[in-house]
Amino acid sequence: MNQQEGYADDIVKGFVIWSMVWGLVAVLVGVFISFQIAFPQLNFPPYLTYGRLRPIHTNAGIFGWGIGSFMAFFIYITQRLTRTSLWSPGLAKAQLWLFNVVIALAAVTLAMGMNRSKEYAELEWPVASLVVVLWVIFAVNIVMTIVKRREEQMYISLWYILATLVGVAVLYLVNNASIPVSLTKSYSAYAGANDANVQWWYGHNAVAMVLTTPPLAIFYYFLPKATGVPIYSHRMGVIAFWSLIFMYLWTGAHHLLWAPVPDWVQTLAMAFSVMLIAPSWAAVFNGYFSMNGQWHQMRENYLVKFLIFGITFYGLQTLQGPSQSIRTFSAFIHFTDWVPGHVHMGTLGWVSLVLFAAIYYTIPRLYHTEIYSIGLANVHFWLVLTGQLIFSITMWIAGVQQAAMLNATNPDGSLHYSFIETLVELYPYWHMRALGGVIYLAGLLVFLYNIYLTIAGAKTQAAAQRA
Amino acid sequence: MDSASIYYLGVTLILFLIFAAIVVRTYSKRHAARGEEPKFRMMDDDYPNHQ
Repeated sequence: MNQQEGYADDIVKGFVIWSMVWGLVAVLVGVFISFQIAFPQLNFPPYLTYGRLRPIHTNAGIFGWGIGSFMAFFIYITQRLTRTSLWSPGLAKAQLWLFNVVIALAAVTLAMGMNRSKEYAELEWPVASLVVVLWVIFAVNIVMTIVKRREEQMYISLWYILATLVGVAVLYLVNNASIPVSLTKSYSAYAGANDANVQWWYGHNAVAMVLTTPPLAIFYYFLPKATGVPIYSHRMGVIAFWSLIFMYLWTGAHHLLWAPVPDWVQTLAMAFSVMLIAPSWAAVFNGYFSMNGQWHQMRENYLVKFLIFGITFYGLQTLQGPSQSIRTFSAFIHFTDWVPGHVHMGTLGWVSLVLFAAIYYTIPRLYHTEIYSIGLANVHFWLVLTGQLIFSITMWIAGVQQAAMLNATNPDGSLHYSFIETLVELYPYWHMRALGGVIYLAGLLVFLYNIYLTIAGAKTQAAAQRA
Repeated sequence: MDSASIYYLGVTLILFLIFAAIVVRTYSKRHAARGEEPKFRMMDDDYPNHQ
């Protein structure tokens, strides 16, 4: 425990460091599989194939890097917004151990081909059961800290944190309901179209409760901390929160447009997806309006640059997402490379930029030092921004070309291009995507080097002071 | 209209009414200053004992 401030911050350090480790794994595997697509001879069966490595990439990214750092910042933020220390630091330590065990087990089992074949819910029941235990430990600790709070009113970040804890629990339990047939194999408790409906109710709300509400909690906390100016409107934040919560859980079926699920379910999902633009952009405007009179900080304050670009990508993401949920547009871009372009703007642009800012803000404070190099932080920013833009823009263009080719017909109604002809045309884009990934990886390495030297410098200073 | 549809509409209506109540309360004149208070208080949260 950090005795000076009365907050349990050592555990935050642990989660931040391990989330960075898993983030590096995610990007390394991501870059490798992007090369596997561009150069198929890089697939080495059975373990090092795209099919085995892709879920490792997504699980390491979303759960290792994402959830790991959300756990760090939920603990950091909750203590401060409630002005009380963590309910149980011991439980949090156990949580950190279990978190790493789960992510390592996920990587090993997925590499061995143990997979439920449900996107973002691939883990077989023994590992999934550990995830449930992990989440319960985490949720109890955070909720109990909020219960014993010394602040009467809850700042908006705490609402998003609570929504994440409840939302993930409900989604994970329902979609992971399975019938085990052995230690390494289970079958979904649902069948056919119902299974697909439950899967995408979960799948899209993983986007909501893992890739939207936690980064928003972090953004709302760290933007005012970075600028030194409160957010524009707390009440607008509250309304945006509740409207987001009311709408998001209805949208999953937009992944199943034109599929054999009831038409009204598809229309409902489409309508709610479009309505989601309002709460999403309320958060974006809250961020922008908070910068009134502070825009000069975009040039002078590297943290603000990460945060404002992050919320801008959130805004773009939440315009593109609803557009994709409309039947006609979905029919065009579904099953094309447009989709990974969209997803990576969210994960690399929105989520990761906000997390980078949060880590840059907290690490020097936790170690009572200054960041090693602001110059390196700026190099990091431009590298990850360039890498991500090359990735996403390339994939959008590839997706449009692919869709146009897949939809092209001859006068007699037959397809103009064979499927393999559409793939051959995509190779230049796949090379560009791999290049974007390498640039992003370079930025990530600069970031890790900067953080490593910050921590190492702080430890040297502390040792010198003790001597 | 069958009972399932009526139930479905009823739940939707209740959710909408709850949301409307949240909006009305949040933006009521009486609640205006209090609703914005947390954003000022969070600016100085580095020490748990500081009120």
